[in-house]
Amino acid sequence: MDPAFAGGYRTSPLQRLALALILLLTFASSLCAQSEDSDSQRPVPIFSAGMGFITPFQGGQANLDPLISPIFLVPIGDRWLIESRDTFESDFSQPPGSNTFHGVIQKEVDYLQLDYIANPHVTVTLGRYLTPFGIFNERLYPIWIRDLQSDPLILPISTGPSNASTGAMFRGGFAISPKVELNYATYYSTLITVSPVDSDRSAGARVGIFLPNQRLEVGGSFQHLLEDERSNSFGFHFAWQPPPIPLDIRAEYARSRRGSGYWVESAYRLSQVAEAEDFLRHVQLVARIQQFFVGALPSEVLPPANTQEFEFGLNYYFRDNLRLVSSYGRQFSSIGNENVWTVGITYRIVTPIGRAEGN
Amino acid sequence: MAKHFLVLSILVLAIGVAFLASAQDRQVAKSSAAIAPTTGAASAATGQPVHDSAEERSEGEKRFKANCGRCHMAPQKFPPRMMATILRHMRVRATLTDEDTRLILHYMTE
Repeated sequence: MDPAFAGGYRTSPLQRLALALILLLTFASSLCAQSEDSDSQRPVPIFSAGMGFITPFQGGQANLDPLISPIFLVPIGDRWLIESRDTFESDFSQPPGSNTFHGVIQKEVDYLQLDYIANPHVTVTLGRYLTPFGIFNERLYPIWIRDLQSDPLILPISTGPSNASTGAMFRGGFAISPKVELNYATYYSTLITVSPVDSDRSAGARVGIFLPNQRLEVGGSFQHLLEDERSNSFGFHFAWQPPPIPLDIRAEYARSRRGSGYWVESAYRLSQVAEAEDFLRHVQLVARIQQFFVGALPSEVLPPANTQEFEFGLNYYFRDNLRLVSSYGRQFSSIGNENVWTVGITYRIVTPIGRAEGN
Repeated sequence: MAKHFLVLSILVLAIGVAFLASAQDRQVAKSSAAIAPTTGAASAATGQPVHDSAEERSEGEKRFKANCGRCHMAPQKFPPRMMATILRHMRVRATLTDEDTRLILHYMTE
């Protein structure tokens, strides 16, 4: 972050007044909503965690990457939810001449947010949240969900530090017709320079059109950076699951002044293969191609040169929450070509905090 | 400064609208409850209200596969109070519609 903008962390009286109004209105709404559905099944707080141990081999260098992401979900009343996810990970590597692996543990607050379901079409979020730019960051990022363990090259475009923003967000979804649904998210983020909760000052929106019968979604994202170069960035996303076959096709494109690029990924479960069905229905094949083009402005988190990469993955699901993952890919760029291998295991737990049965 | 004022004004206005819409929805819900004990869901295929429990389950399964299956495998079923929390979380995360949330919860807690 440019130190010249550290002063932007100070808020003006107008901003403080607006924040106070937002909080007042939000709490006033909640008080009116608390008395509803008192006899319905009450949600219970939940602890969940995605964890994994991944061993990437990049350019002949082996690393050890343990990771754990604890998640807390605390529902309050009928319309509120406090949710948080932190990530603790390390990238242990072997220095030249050493027989041991060394590394430090990195900590990130991915999100710590208060959600208020205002009505069937609007949810208000305050706090630190995952930046809704494209679909990978919000939906596909968790280690137990992603089909390939390496991040797309364009992920850092407009997602901010730690892929998160801090401020307010409005989001929701509704049916335009019985066959078409629209989802949206619009947000404002303020500048914070304190790690691990740093964020950029920006405003943006994402809109998606979803056809549930075809299981097809297309959408676009826009963001205006309110600091540094004060530039615009935009992106498109696409996701399709052809209903007759267990195939996922996803793609994203993003463009900013610091770079642009795309990725296209397909994943196929071998559940429809008749031979050795008991074994093959647990197997998933994945393929991804991606390209990145450097922009007019430098970036610390994006590749320093134009880069192309293809990657193939083979995953084996023991259960829905436990799997072996592996992949092979090759990266091409003007600063050198290299192979990228990964093998690892991912796991996810979900447990209630309190009594889960009954009312 | 003008931009910040504009952005913050929009946020305040949007929350105000959400508050009013919420109050209106509650009023409508109370009126509906007085007329009929349960409000049926609209079938995605026909647009007609779903009254039958079996039909709601079928619709819930369909919406589960369409919405949740887009990102991850079908998880095991959890107790209803856990599912209620998970669905609230996913409603926010995956921008599920109100109807999607209700029908998927019905399907996952049967």
